[in-house]
Amino acid sequence: MSVIPLQVKSVDPILSVRDLKMHFPVKEGIFMRTGRFNKAVDGVNFDIMPGETLGLVGESGCGKSTLGRCISRLYQPTAGEIRFEGRDIATLKRKELMPFRRDIQMIFQDPMESLNARHTVGQILEEPFQIHRIGDRAYRQQRVKELLDVVGLPARSVTRYPFEFSGGQRQRIGIARAIALNPKLIICDEPVSALDVSIQSQILNLLIDLQTEYKLSYLFIAHDLAVVKHISDRIAIMYLGRIVETGAGESIYRTARHPYTQSLISAIPVPDPHHHSHRQILVGDVPSPINPPSGCSFHTRCPKVMEVCRQTSPVLSQDQQPVACHLYE
Amino acid sequence: MSDVILSVNNLITEFNTDEGRVRAVDDVSFEVKQGETLGIVGESGCGKSVTALSIMRLLPQPVGEIAGGQILLEGQNLVELDISQMQKIRGARIGMVFQEPMTALNPVHTIGRQLLEVILLHRKISKEQAIRQAIEMLDKVGIPSPDIRMSEYPHQLSGGMRQRVVIAMALVCQPRLLIADEPTTALDVTIQAQILELIKELQKDLGMSVILITHDLGVIAETSDSVVVMYAGKIAERGSVYDLFDQPTHPYTRGLLESIPRLETEPKSRLTIIPGMVPGLLDMPKGCRFENRCRYRQDGCLSAPPGIETIAPGHDVACYRWQEVRSEVVAGGDSPNFKLSAVA
Repeated sequence: MSVIPLQVKSVDPILSVRDLKMHFPVKEGIFMRTGRFNKAVDGVNFDIMPGETLGLVGESGCGKSTLGRCISRLYQPTAGEIRFEGRDIATLKRKELMPFRRDIQMIFQDPMESLNARHTVGQILEEPFQIHRIGDRAYRQQRVKELLDVVGLPARSVTRYPFEFSGGQRQRIGIARAIALNPKLIICDEPVSALDVSIQSQILNLLIDLQTEYKLSYLFIAHDLAVVKHISDRIAIMYLGRIVETGAGESIYRTARHPYTQSLISAIPVPDPHHHSHRQILVGDVPSPINPPSGCSFHTRCPKVMEVCRQTSPVLSQDQQPVACHLYE
Repeated sequence: MSDVILSVNNLITEFNTDEGRVRAVDDVSFEVKQGETLGIVGESGCGKSVTALSIMRLLPQPVGEIAGGQILLEGQNLVELDISQMQKIRGARIGMVFQEPMTALNPVHTIGRQLLEVILLHRKISKEQAIRQAIEMLDKVGIPSPDIRMSEYPHQLSGGMRQRVVIAMALVCQPRLLIADEPTTALDVTIQAQILELIKELQKDLGMSVILITHDLGVIAETSDSVVVMYAGKIAERGSVYDLFDQPTHPYTRGLLESIPRLETEPKSRLTIIPGMVPGLLDMPKGCRFENRCRYRQDGCLSAPPGIETIAPGHDVACYRWQEVRSEVVAGGDSPNFKLSAVA
């Protein structure tokens, strides 16, 4: 059992998120008035230590991608703190953010959409250096070559366009761009979900190697718990804008506490025909974050729902494996 | 052999592209028995969806064409049928479910209207009877208050509910065979579990056979009785689900099984990979199509593609070196995260 000891407190987290909220206004009616809000992220707290991978798991619409985009400050969060190396970047203006953009990078699910189709790979990889005015032409081209080599692409890729590459290779280009400026934290938003099984393992290995080599911290967002568990030190499970459970990957998998985590794990198809799962099939769908249920937002689907769940929203407990559930109060 | 519902024999499907004619499905054969689930697994471009479209005779026209082989549905060769004959089969004797339910449903028609269309096309019954059947079917696929849902539009439903509607449409005429092409890929795991369970239950109820096409080996292990592994348009390995998972004998099957991260693998351990990538349809290797990624490659693999050989009853493999691969399997494999159950 590799439970991360709590004594790592001696090291400061590279990222601390406190009570983060992202509420999108919903424009309705013929006058497009804002009456209600989509509470995509609704009070999230977590830390990421240097060199650590925090896996963020949840189903579509749970707010995990929105959370990632808040941290990389592609969104301006509604409330809360995002402390990066001690400094709150949640409210910084565009210009003030520039130095942090070098340190916090992002890898997206679909590299075809996140790479400029009209630029060559060389141009794509040189751009970060140009934006941050780093080095001269010769230096930049040298770095581009190195980057290609690091992510396992041939040097001749420089003059090629994204469409000339396969999905896995495009993801390698996306990764090369993300590591170009030696960032400290990379937010990986479903980086392998669009890839075939045999390519997925190549990319996961690459991400693990890069982490060791460059001492990167990752926030790894994905819906596939097996993938997340493989790459993460700790895992946070998200449901309707909130984290419902966090803990070391192994303990989340073996001793899941939250009923949602339990059903999520039991829902994963096991690639072994001898395995007969005692599946807890959740009824119904994820409710809308615009109009979330009262009390615990999971109570509409929870197999262990109690009276209190309908009224009061549980808070994340303060123990080894924090859980937000009335069962453990 | 009367319990075979569908038998695909030496199917060849080709596409005319700007760069030339390509063969997307090359000499594919398999059988689906009464009541069983056949899983077809493979990565993008392996020809699994084109195989399904060939069976349904829904290849994109005019570029796609069945260039050879037979598709026998209860003895009747679908390849020889004309459009109107085929229309009588689709929906009535073969139902289909696709990956993205939103594209399978017409956004401007109500759920009810779309269901009625299927029923009234194939059955000579009154509209009232058809409405009753439609509501019954929606109820069967687990849609709450089906009578109200009948007058709703697809956008008013969630992804999981839409997929249930598509399944209702596919099954309302009680087909003998359901072809489900990645039916749960666009859905969340908890919804996927619901849908797979639903297909299983309905299969038992209606006694139909299912062809389930997926890239997810977990889904295959949980649902299929027999499995076809496809690679670059050809069958790499074919056998019962136990053959495939306990004694994977094609290097590609083994590679796939080894490369998936499992919940029980050591975190951050290196995953076994299949190096390189699938060759393009236009530049297929002359020999075995897996040759450029295979760790068992020998000179002999390069000249001609291996034929499919029966290595045990019901277990077929297309590999020159299957004996060596297999002896390694029995030895327990060389990867730490590859746990094989005891092999007799």
